[in-house]
Amino acid sequence: MATSGQLTSLLSNSALARLERMRINPRKRQTNLGRGEHLARKGGTSTEFTDYRDYSAGDDVRYVDWNIFSRLNRPYLKLYRHEEEMHFVVLVDGSSSMVYGDKFLMAKRLAAAFCIVGLYGGERTSIYACHAFGRAPEFLPPMLGRPALRRALRFIENLEGGGDAMIDAAVDEVLLRHKGRGIVILLSDFLTFGDLMRPFNRLHAAGLEPHGIQILSPEELDPELSGDIRLVDSETGDALDISSANDLLALYHEHRQALEEDLATMCRQRGGRYLPVRSDETVDAVLFDRLRRQGWVR
Amino acid sequence: MNWIGVSWLSGLWLLALAAPIVIFYFLKLRRPRSEVPSLALWRQVMNDQRVNSPLQKFKRNLLLLLQLLLLLALTVAATQPFVRGDAANAAYVPVLIDHSASMAALDQPGGVSRLDEVKSEVRQLIDDLLPGQRLSIIAVGSTAKRLTDFSDNKRLLKAAVDGIEALPVESRLEDGLRVTQALARTVPVETVLLFSDGNVPPDVPFELPFQLNYRRLPAGGVNLGITALNARRAGPESWEVFARIEASQTEPAAGVSTGTLEIKLGNEVLASEHVSLAAKANERFAVRIDTDKAATVTATLRPDGFDALSSDNNASLDLPVPRPLTVYCPEDLDSYRRALESIENLVLYPVGDDSGPSEYDLVVSDRASDLDKQAPVAMYVGVVPPELQELVTVKTNLAELVDWRRSEPLLQHVQLADVQMSDEPQNAEGVRNEDYEERGYEVLAFGRSGPLLLKKSTPLRIEYDFLFHTDRSTMPYRIGFPILVSNLVQETLRGADLLEVRAGRTGVLDPISLAPNEEYAVTIPDGENVSLRSSESGQLVGVPAPAVGRYVVKRGGRTVATVGASLTSASETGLAITEKLQFKEIEVAADEDQLPSDKPLWRYFAFAGFGLLLAEWWIFQRRPRRAAA
Repeated sequence: MATSGQLTSLLSNSALARLERMRINPRKRQTNLGRGEHLARKGGTSTEFTDYRDYSAGDDVRYVDWNIFSRLNRPYLKLYRHEEEMHFVVLVDGSSSMVYGDKFLMAKRLAAAFCIVGLYGGERTSIYACHAFGRAPEFLPPMLGRPALRRALRFIENLEGGGDAMIDAAVDEVLLRHKGRGIVILLSDFLTFGDLMRPFNRLHAAGLEPHGIQILSPEELDPELSGDIRLVDSETGDALDISSANDLLALYHEHRQALEEDLATMCRQRGGRYLPVRSDETVDAVLFDRLRRQGWVR
Repeated sequence: MNWIGVSWLSGLWLLALAAPIVIFYFLKLRRPRSEVPSLALWRQVMNDQRVNSPLQKFKRNLLLLLQLLLLLALTVAATQPFVRGDAANAAYVPVLIDHSASMAALDQPGGVSRLDEVKSEVRQLIDDLLPGQRLSIIAVGSTAKRLTDFSDNKRLLKAAVDGIEALPVESRLEDGLRVTQALARTVPVETVLLFSDGNVPPDVPFELPFQLNYRRLPAGGVNLGITALNARRAGPESWEVFARIEASQTEPAAGVSTGTLEIKLGNEVLASEHVSLAAKANERFAVRIDTDKAATVTATLRPDGFDALSSDNNASLDLPVPRPLTVYCPEDLDSYRRALESIENLVLYPVGDDSGPSEYDLVVSDRASDLDKQAPVAMYVGVVPPELQELVTVKTNLAELVDWRRSEPLLQHVQLADVQMSDEPQNAEGVRNEDYEERGYEVLAFGRSGPLLLKKSTPLRIEYDFLFHTDRSTMPYRIGFPILVSNLVQETLRGADLLEVRAGRTGVLDPISLAPNEEYAVTIPDGENVSLRSSESGQLVGVPAPAVGRYVVKRGGRTVATVGASLTSASETGLAITEKLQFKEIEVAADEDQLPSDKPLWRYFAFAGFGLLLAEWWIFQRRPRRAAA
């Protein structure tokens, strides 16, 4: 809950001020036909000039460049960029695994930051939070403009973690409800027994650039286990007996790094980006340093 | 691998327990729980691990490995492995422990005695006893005493060893070896262990039927002791008392050992002499005593510095009442009577009708009927003892002397070479000198066809037998005849303790003359009472003397005799070392190192198992680094 004089408990006011000036930087500009603030590749009626072309019969004479006509005595038509709207979807993984090590808090903070960037950038911003498998996600439908900011922040602040939702199933649930092209920010640990390729493919097919932020706790990045131990899954309650855990750590790290590389590849191949984040990092460092340096925002 | 063995090979079957341990380990392994956000990565890790190495679970399972090692250690311990020694791997091992006087010697001031060191080694031997091995503890001093039967009861054996005390007696190994030989008739004895400080007689008249391992401990330290206390008659009522002090072989730090010797008659100090002796040196002290009564002379040595052995610092000597010798000699044996009458302090019987006492000090006779007369010393001339009559016959013939034993006290300074003898003892056909020896006789003078003079010596009687009659020879007319009679009287005086007396020795007391066939109680110095019965001849024999001091003989509560016993042994005081024991056929060298014995290893494996158990417990109980969520 926000304290007096602070808009949200998730981010400081100074961070909010800096976020207001930031804009998302999509890689492929997947936009909707609706008019927006993102220039489309096709021509349009915005004020941004792009090129000339020969006049042909039937063209709107309002776009003829009369200065050129007067000098060359030939009509040329001025072409302008078309500006379209872009959907900005923030998907927060709220499963039990995210509750560990402040991962969910980090996810909520990043979600709030992206909402601010989206809303201030004029994007149609929507938020989804998935918890349990087979249960409808909590979500805020696409919003526009600053007036929706407070509602979005309240929604994010009130999110609670816990559940057995996997990120792949969560994507299916989201796509059942979302229509529109743009960017999807996936805030998850991506620790799933399912196939990660499928949700990324579906997001891509739905016109959403998948931008994955994998949030892992220090215990997951550098587990300190040794001897014979029984690991219990926090989501499913399943147990796994391992022996000489310290001897398996190298293998664990190999698999974790392979997962990161797979995620990066899947995001990159689908026009998105990938960023691994530690849950104990400061959110300012992520927002204003890493995201900016990696071109997520501008 | 001959140097190592196992006692219970069947114990290896215990290794079969490894199978249930492995099974139960994986079935019942209790693991600490640790909740993780997701098992997604761990499942991939496990799948990858199983694919890469199916046996990884076994290889990396430290607890299981420790449990299997524990089982292996316990199994090996159960088989009771041992490192073979050279000696004591036989099943039945008699252990002879010398507990003579020298074993009480200390190595240094405040040090340990030889016997204590032996006890320590034997206790170790008992601790190392293997299954199936049995020891028998035999204490050897002047006699041998078997303290235990063959037993593997360690408590019993150790109690027997602990109960051994050094006695102030000389060593005699023969008894111990004979006891062992007797044991060897009941059980197979291959090896005998002998623990001693080496202060034993080097020549052992014994044929070894088994292997003897002779463990010799280092000798004791510097010692000074009384090795002799004697008295010689110096007149009718006076004695010359001699005391000999000897030093041990160990070189004293100061070069000499010093002390004070005090000689007392009763409570009267007769002499107090300063003693200063280098190693192996000895000194003799003499003092004259005038007394007409029985008396006790005591000698006490007080060393100034460290003295390894204390039991040789006291000696006592019992001086008898001076009295004349009683001699029986028939009146018709003129030659001897005349010679005897010229000797002082001698009463000759018979005198007229007085045949004298029932027992004499000396009997000289030429009558076979006098053979049963009681006397400690007897001489018969012209009489063939009944047990020799089948061996020799005396013919009237001129006998020819071949040789005689000049070292024999009776024949000292007696020239027999030209004696003419008209009686000739002739051996029966096939009879040799050994036949006389078998009957207890020693030939002192050899004739051409048979022995001329025989000697039969028993603890209670010395008998000389001239098989020819001296009156039918030229002997009485020779200058050597009175010397012969004088030698006989000297022997009698010596036998009656009237010429020389020496301090009684520990071990077994000299025979004590008392009333015949009576029950006596002998109180030994440590207070213990021994009941003994005197013989028909009035001798109390076989009185054990295990301690230095006065032995009181009582009958019906009344003291009838007091006898002293002292160590007075030059070998024990000198702490001499015998490096090699010479037996009849072989010699046995001493081993200064601890006797090699089978070293059981089971306890090391048991300790290793215990260590593994602790390690497994610690690993099992330790908290995982990351606490369960």
